[in-house]
Amino acid sequence: MASSLENLETQLEMFIENVRQIHIIVSDFQPQSQNVLNQKLQALVHGLQEVDKLKSQVKDVHVPLEVFDYIDQGRNPQLYTKDCIEKALSKNEQVKGKIDAYRKFKANMLLELSRTFPNELNKYRALRGGE
Amino acid sequence: MMGDQFRKVEQYSPKSSPRGARSPVVSRQDSSGTLKTTILLSGKNPSIVPSGPFYLMKEPPGESELTGAKNLMVYYDLEHSYTKFSGKKLKEQLSSFLPTLPGVIDSPGQQDNSSLRSVIDKPPIVGKELLPLTSIQLDGFRLHPGPLPEQYRYTSTIPIKKHKNKHKKHKHKEGGTPNQETAVTDTGIDTHEKKHKKQKRHDEDKERKKRKKEKKRKKQKHSPEHSGGLTPSQHSNL
Repeated sequence: MASSLENLETQLEMFIENVRQIHIIVSDFQPQSQNVLNQKLQALVHGLQEVDKLKSQVKDVHVPLEVFDYIDQGRNPQLYTKDCIEKALSKNEQVKGKIDAYRKFKANMLLELSRTFPNELNKYRALRGGE
Repeated sequence: MMGDQFRKVEQYSPKSSPRGARSPVVSRQDSSGTLKTTILLSGKNPSIVPSGPFYLMKEPPGESELTGAKNLMVYYDLEHSYTKFSGKKLKEQLSSFLPTLPGVIDSPGQQDNSSLRSVIDKPPIVGKELLPLTSIQLDGFRLHPGPLPEQYRYTSTIPIKKHKNKHKKHKHKEGGTPNQETAVTDTGIDTHEKKHKKQKRHDEDKERKKRKKEKKRKKQKHSPEHSGGLTPSQHSNL
């Protein structure tokens, strides 16, 4: 997957570079540049063909739509990744805290119940399979 | 049928019940020690079936292997990404993420209709085969010599950072691709203005010095020592 993404990246970079060179040629056009321009235009079509070929290789890549918003606003998309990682970590810690708290609560509950209702709790444990 | 049920509930509701809060419908079977009961609602008449020693006892949910109790960052092998992004202060601009991309990319995409959202909202026509341009089609790209009109030149300017300017000369020497844009860039204009300003300052200084010299001369002329209008050197010559 990584190599296919790298391929696509390289192709896109080459395509952009080609467009940049076309822009330079066109921005102050000289009659002798017509042939070069024609070559560059053909290279443009070829570049699109290459990108189109790579389409199938990156089919399984899913991009969150929010990333597009970041890019559209001229913001660094890595900020989105950073935000996601930080949120995920914080949520992970919260859930772990809850699970630990429930575990402690269960242990304390069973302890107290075994003190107060030893017979019932024995029955309960037998039903639960020695829990 | 639902209406009937509600009516029944109303009839035996604690408010209207002569026996207070205790519901008369369910017969108590605590004496047998069976606290757990199952209420069957499937048939016409709902029935209560005692099914165990504990009231409301349910099967515990199946334990999943992966829960939030685990460090999911480690589990999914994302520790590297976390350390990469957590400590570093990222730059806000898109250009810092794509430094090699030419053109102004930090401005909102909606301004020049280059937003990725618009590609999703209005997908382009796809599925057509991409073919090289024929000579007739290429004729359509035959251009007139000369520079582009001003309005198109402006949009193509690239903001060049200061540190890049330092290596500008070196880059030109390397040759590579011709970079005509640099001549049109704002920074180019800036440097020109700076030079112009420097020259202006230099001229002003010269004028000031001249004026000072003239004032000095005038003072010397009016002073009693030089009443004859001769300089000390002239005196010595006499």
